[in-house]
Amino acid sequence: MTPPGVRLEAVGLLTGWGRGVAALPADACAAAAGRAVIPLARPQLDGQRFRRATRECLLGVAAVHAMLEDAGLDREAIRGPGTALVFVTAAAYGASNVEWLAGHAGTLHFPYTAPSVLPGEVAIEFGVTGPYVILIGGPTATVDGLWQAGRLVANAQCERALVLAVETFEECAALWRRARWTLPRPLVESAACALIGAGEVAATYSARAEASPLAREIEARAGQTLACAPLGALALARVAGASTALVSGMWRGRTAGVELAIAAQPARV
Amino acid sequence: MAIVAAGVVTPVGLDLDAFWSGLLAGADGLSAIERFPTGDLRVGRGGEIKKLPPVALPVRSRAAALLVAAAADLTARTPLDAAPERIGLVVGTALGGVEELEHALASDGGAHRALDGLYDSPAHALAAWLGVRGPVLTVSSACASGATALGVGADLLAEDAVDLVVAGGYDTLCRFVMRGFDALRSLTRDRVRPFDRRRTGLLLGEAAGLVLLARERDARGPRLGRLLGHGSASDASHVAAPDAEGRGLEAAIRAALVAGDTGVDDLDFVSAHGTGTVLNDRIETAVLKRVLGARADAVPVNSIKGALGHTMGAAATLEAIMCLLAARDGWVPPTVGYEEADPACDLDYVPAACRAMRPRRMLSTSLGFGGCNAALVLEGVA
Repeated sequence: MTPPGVRLEAVGLLTGWGRGVAALPADACAAAAGRAVIPLARPQLDGQRFRRATRECLLGVAAVHAMLEDAGLDREAIRGPGTALVFVTAAAYGASNVEWLAGHAGTLHFPYTAPSVLPGEVAIEFGVTGPYVILIGGPTATVDGLWQAGRLVANAQCERALVLAVETFEECAALWRRARWTLPRPLVESAACALIGAGEVAATYSARAEASPLAREIEARAGQTLACAPLGALALARVAGASTALVSGMWRGRTAGVELAIAAQPARV
Repeated sequence: MAIVAAGVVTPVGLDLDAFWSGLLAGADGLSAIERFPTGDLRVGRGGEIKKLPPVALPVRSRAAALLVAAAADLTARTPLDAAPERIGLVVGTALGGVEELEHALASDGGAHRALDGLYDSPAHALAAWLGVRGPVLTVSSACASGATALGVGADLLAEDAVDLVVAGGYDTLCRFVMRGFDALRSLTRDRVRPFDRRRTGLLLGEAAGLVLLARERDARGPRLGRLLGHGSASDASHVAAPDAEGRGLEAAIRAALVAGDTGVDDLDFVSAHGTGTVLNDRIETAVLKRVLGARADAVPVNSIKGALGHTMGAAATLEAIMCLLAARDGWVPPTVGYEEADPACDLDYVPAACRAMRPRRMLSTSLGFGGCNAALVLEGVA
C-alpha cells in the first residue's frame, strides 16, 4: 500500500553561478557586480534529436540529469507512466516567442514557442508518460507545483513526480530592463528539478504564507531565479541535512508555502 | 466537485445563452479575420469575436478582456459567495499574453507593458477585476489547458485551500498564432470538418470559458453539474504531433475514469477534441474505440470545433460546459461540418442536427503541443 505522505528524494540545481548549491555566492548582488543577467550556457547534449531544440529545452534536460546524479539513479528509474511531470516557468518561453515574432525562425520553430514543448522534450528524452501539469508563474507557481506533485504521489496517481523549473532571461533582457523597478537584480538563469517520492509524512500546503528563511536565503545567494527559487531552496535544505523544508514563494503579490519531508538516504523510487 | 455556473464569450455567442443556442442551431462562427492583417497568410479565416461585450472594452489586453467578458457572464449568473482570500482562480491558456509581448517589443512602453507579455498576466488581471485574493494559477498545457485548469481547481477545493474556484480557459486569435499554424500548414482553406472523410485541417478561434467550482457540500442552490474526475498524461513521443497510437490520450482518459469512479458502461456521451485534422481525428477515434470497447457504436461523440474553430486554451472548458448544458436541456449539439463518413472514423458523430438525448455521465478529451493529453469526466443534472 502506498504511504499517504511524500518526501523530497533528490534535487538538481543549475544556475548562472554554476552547478549545485556549492557554486552559489554568499551574496548574489555583490557577485553580480552590476550585471543585470547572469547567463547559463546552452548545454552540450548529444543526439540528433536535439538539433532543433532550444536552449531552454536543453536546460530542462540537463536539470533532470543533475537530479538523477544527486539521487544516484539511472535514467530508467523515471521512465514510464509511474512518473509524473510538473513543469513551472515564469518566462522561459520568452526567448522562443521573441525569436518567432522577429520573423527569423523557420516553420518548425513555431511549436517551440509553446511553454509545453520544453517539458515535452524532457518527457521524450526520459520516456516520462505519467500525469502532466504545466504551470506558469514565479516562485509561487513552483510551490503550487510541489503541492500538485505531492498530491499526485500521495493519491497514488503516480509513484514519483518530477518538479522541473527553467528560467532564461538573456534573449529578453531589454524587456526585463523595463521591469527593473518591479523585479530586483540580478536575474540569474537557472534550471532545477526535484524528485518527489512516497514517504511517511504528508506535505503541508498553504495558499498564503510568510517568506520562509530558505526563500530569503536562496534569493540572497542565487539572486532572482523566479520559478527555480523554491527548488533552489530545497537544494539548500538537502545539502544542509535538514529532515524537512518549508519553502515559500511570492509573485505578483501572491504568496504560497509548502513543507516537505526530505529523504536522508539515497533515493528509493 | 459541483460546477455551479458558467460564463463564456465565443464567436457564436457573447454569453452562455447565445453560445448554447448557437451550438444547437449549428451556427458557424468562422469568418474572415478583420482585427489584424492576414494578407500574407495562406488562410485568413477563424473564429473571431467581432465585437466584445461593453464590460470588456476598457481592458488593455485582449486576452484579459476575453476573461473579463466571460467572468462578467459568470458572475451575472451566480455570486462569488466566499471571502476573497478563499476564492481561487485557475485558468488555462496556450498563448497567455503573447499579443502584448508583440506590442511591448514594438514600443518602448514601461514595465507594465513588458510584464503584460508574460503568460500569467491575463489571469492576474482577471483576479484583480474579480477581487479574488486566493491562489491565482495559470495552466499552459497548450490546447489541453482548459481541462487541466478545471482539474487543478478541483484539487484546490479537495485540499481545502479555498472554498470557491473560478476555473476555465481562454485564448485570443492573433497574428502570432495564425502565422504559426499557417506555416505548419495545419489550417484548412475548406470549412472545418471534424471526423469527415474530406477533412483537411483546423481553423483557430478565440474565446473564454469559465466555471464556478465548489465542494459538493458547500454548493447552494441550482448547479450545472459535477466534475467527477480528471486525468492527464504525457505522450513522450513528439513535440507537435500526437502519439501515433494515442497512448497518452488513452492513459489520460483511463485516469479520469478511475478518478471519477466511472465505468465505461456509465458513459452516455463523449465531447471529442475533434480538430478536423487528418491525424488527430483518426487517432482519437481509435482511442475512443479502445476505451469504449463494445459500447463504441452506442455512445455519441461530437466536436464543436466546426462551429467555433479551435479555441485552444478555451476549448476544453467550452466543451465541458457544452456537455453540462446538453445534460440540462436534453439536446446534444451536432458536429458542424461533418457530412461524409470516413472508414477510419466510424463512430456516431452526431451529424447534421442537434440530437434529443439527455446524457448523464460524459467524457471530454483534449490534446496539445508538447504531448499534452487531458480528460474530464462530468455528470449533468437533469
